[in-house]
Amino acid sequence: MSKLIATRAIRGAQKLVLRAEKELNQALQEKSPETKVEFPNTGYYLPISHGILGLNIETLGGLTALLEEAKKLLPPLPEDELWLPYLGQTLDAGMATLFADEIIEALKYTQNPLPYWTKPNPEDGHLWLGAANDVIMRERGIEFVDGTAPGFAACVGHCPSNQMAVKIARELQGKNLYVFMSAATDGKSMAQQLQEEGIQMGWETRLVPFGDDVTATVHSLGFATRVALSFGGAQPGDFQRILRYNKNRVFAFVLALGPVDDEKHAQAAGAINYGFPTIADTDIDQILPTGICTYEHVVSPVPLDRIVAKAIEVRGLKITITKVPVPVPYGPAFQGERIRKEDMYVELAGQEKPGFEFLTTRELDEVEDGKIDLIGPEIDEIEEGSQIPLAIWVEVAGREMQTDFEPILERYIHDFINCANGVFHMGQRDINWVRISKEAKQKGFKFRHFGTILHAKLHGEFGKIVDKVQIRIYTQEKEILDLIDTARRIYHQRDARLADMTDEAVETFYSCTLCQSFAPNHVCIITPERSGLCGAYNWLDGKAAYQINPTGPNQPVKKGKVIDPVRGQWEDINRFVFNSSHKTLEFFNAYSMVEHPMTSCGCFECISGVLPSTNGIMVVYREYTGMTPSGMKFSTLAGTVGGGVQTPGFIGHSKQYIGSPKFISADGGAQRIVWMDKNLKEEMGPVLREIGRRIGIENFYEMIADETVAETEEEVLAYVTKMKHPALSMPPMF
Amino acid sequence: MKTIAISGKGGTGKSTIAALIVYWLGENMSKSILAVDADSNVNLNDLLGVELRETIGAIREEMKSRVSGLPGGMTKQQFLEYKIHSSLVETPNFDLVAMGRPEGPGCYCYANNLLRDILKTLGENYEFVVIDNEAGMEHLSRRTTQNIDYLLIVSDPSPRGIQAAGRISRLLKELEARVGEKYLILNRLHDPIPKAVEETIKDEGLKLLCSIPEDQKILKSDRAGKPIWEIIPKSSAYQTIDRTMKGLSLERRIRRTHGF
Repeated sequence: MSKLIATRAIRGAQKLVLRAEKELNQALQEKSPETKVEFPNTGYYLPISHGILGLNIETLGGLTALLEEAKKLLPPLPEDELWLPYLGQTLDAGMATLFADEIIEALKYTQNPLPYWTKPNPEDGHLWLGAANDVIMRERGIEFVDGTAPGFAACVGHCPSNQMAVKIARELQGKNLYVFMSAATDGKSMAQQLQEEGIQMGWETRLVPFGDDVTATVHSLGFATRVALSFGGAQPGDFQRILRYNKNRVFAFVLALGPVDDEKHAQAAGAINYGFPTIADTDIDQILPTGICTYEHVVSPVPLDRIVAKAIEVRGLKITITKVPVPVPYGPAFQGERIRKEDMYVELAGQEKPGFEFLTTRELDEVEDGKIDLIGPEIDEIEEGSQIPLAIWVEVAGREMQTDFEPILERYIHDFINCANGVFHMGQRDINWVRISKEAKQKGFKFRHFGTILHAKLHGEFGKIVDKVQIRIYTQEKEILDLIDTARRIYHQRDARLADMTDEAVETFYSCTLCQSFAPNHVCIITPERSGLCGAYNWLDGKAAYQINPTGPNQPVKKGKVIDPVRGQWEDINRFVFNSSHKTLEFFNAYSMVEHPMTSCGCFECISGVLPSTNGIMVVYREYTGMTPSGMKFSTLAGTVGGGVQTPGFIGHSKQYIGSPKFISADGGAQRIVWMDKNLKEEMGPVLREIGRRIGIENFYEMIADETVAETEEEVLAYVTKMKHPALSMPPMF
Repeated sequence: MKTIAISGKGGTGKSTIAALIVYWLGENMSKSILAVDADSNVNLNDLLGVELRETIGAIREEMKSRVSGLPGGMTKQQFLEYKIHSSLVETPNFDLVAMGRPEGPGCYCYANNLLRDILKTLGENYEFVVIDNEAGMEHLSRRTTQNIDYLLIVSDPSPRGIQAAGRISRLLKELEARVGEKYLILNRLHDPIPKAVEETIKDEGLKLLCSIPEDQKILKSDRAGKPIWEIIPKSSAYQTIDRTMKGLSLERRIRRTHGF
């Protein structure tokens, strides 16, 4: 990190500790050491020293101990010639600053008259409120715990204009954040600017003016410390727990408005200890490595009109919108609602007009959260009963966002829009279809509200991966036709990406233990080339499910050392399977059905079984109720194969797996297939013909027997012999 | 939602009665009606004078024949839902969905399972669902139809016809289909009800709802292959239906989408 910023923070800390010492000595000359020292109506002594150090300071004399601690922590200024990693020293300087702040602020409470107004809201020209009392603490602190207020913005300095100060305050209020104001710059603070504009301040409006002194900033962190003590179960002196609680639970940050002097640098260093980053609008040195804070520690210069959005991003604050702000009722109860033509105000896309839905990822600074643009007419500009085109283009950004999640989030557009009463939504991608009822139109539902819904729900349901969302709604054909090819190209790429992904190309597979309620010892290992045997989960689904629910049934499993590249065996996979199968399965081969095959729960779409005399295998689909050449029906076979046991010669798998190049590749692959039930064979026709092309046998499809030509193993043998099936000339399976 | 199912042997005129009921509901109760043509032999849509789009049967076959290539990575549920919704025939007086041809060989459990859910949700959007059922009651036995408020079994006025109606009634009992009220409708009555018929009705334990006299207007229109929709209000059969339906005290139910 920058030496310059470390120097400034340390210098600021030194100045403040010096000032604390001077003021304390002066107070001790004027008053008895037994003079009572407290923030009025608080049961927490002085919160920082009580929380961080476990000190119970009640008297003027007691402050001496705190001063000693501050001095002890205070690091020397960095040398001119020597560069060191300064983060640790900067953090110490920050903590020393907070101790010095607390001494100075405590001394103010021994003055007469009190420099602070001790009521919850400013009145009669008294602006500065100082430390929060216990009543406020109980009322307001709980909001930090239950999520009503995600955190606070500690604003120091002032804005270039009063209007800008108001705008920033409103923006922060809009995110349900508390605005704590302190530390004037050049004699002016943000709170004074709001006062001049006649803005109602106080704890009730969440705009809290602490004090114009830079040391009053400590009341923000004092408040944070008390939240951890009261609601986080932290014990006084357990500083680690207090700091970690704040980092993880209280979404606070410092907004440095205007020039940042040494003392303000020192406050920023203090805040970093709590995991609270500082965002400045002026050009100061940055601390970009992540670690103490969730992301960067100090970021600048950020233009004032973007500073709130940036702060929210840097702090990792997740916006949750509990109520979807649309003028119609919203909830899952309205899913599946059909808008009859007679009740319909407008139909969008569908069979008659073009349309599509598309979700893509952008960089964080390319997305303005909550921005909704409508390109084309709004609902009240079109006639009742019209049919118009519709494209919904969603751009998301997030620290944890990956392009692999795009299709998954995109699929949710359907569910989200469908929950609005009076809105009917079908399909996805370029076969979307929407209707809006006359009633919804009459209640004030607009096309823009598609954006409102998606913004709220994407944050709500995918807050873990989505930080920002902006939406464009297109309702005129020209733009839609211009964009639809781009969207289609990406749909195609997404499909191809999965199709082209190989097991070798990834380091991690995903487990699926969704079925352990039926088959307690079974665990599926999902690889790019082998989907879950139920056919419902592929590798990307597993990956996405894990990201969304990290403690769910889909866990990432590193492959580890390759034990057998042909049969598909890996050290770490074996270890994982051994543990997750309750130590019943030591190892398995992913690409073999003969030697230690993967186990099955019972949900498999198909069962493959060796027909020994044919040197090949049969594949039967779960809906086939007839007899198979193995002499067993599907239901009997399922009993043998399922339940998490290895049955050499038999495996359960998905339909999709048949087309995979890794389909029993250790045993010779798909060209072993000598019999399939007719429905499955026909369904898999294109896949089988593709396999034929791959192995250079044009009529491979025709060579496979089904129940219309062979019902027993002998009949299969006769048929494939007649057809000169390639399996006959392959090495024996066992 | 109230569900009225009309059943009976082929040729008894049950589809005509279904059409009359759809008309009556539209005139007297609500235009929020879903007519379900669940008989692959007779086409309710012809009587109602509308062109069919895709049938559910055809959609089901299409879905079954696809492996993984559903458009846009859609789930089967979504795909089926989309197709069914787009297959609906929409008119100002009613919407119509046709079940189409029956299943081929093979297992339809999965498809039917999806179908049942989707049709159930679809039906809940309407105040009335009128089902023209196949005599074999396939859709009842496969549970693609659920919860019937009124089952109207149509028969011609012959003892044999009444016996067939009795079998349908008993079949339903065995299938444990949830049926509210069950009635017999005698159709194409020329004279007073013959004694033998009356006795058979008693023997079969059926409740007679009404008798509809042979209606020349409808008969002529039907024979000419013309839709009967236009002539319904003037037909004598409609007069009987009007009286009968009023007697059923179908109170209007508020649609679930309102009042939230």
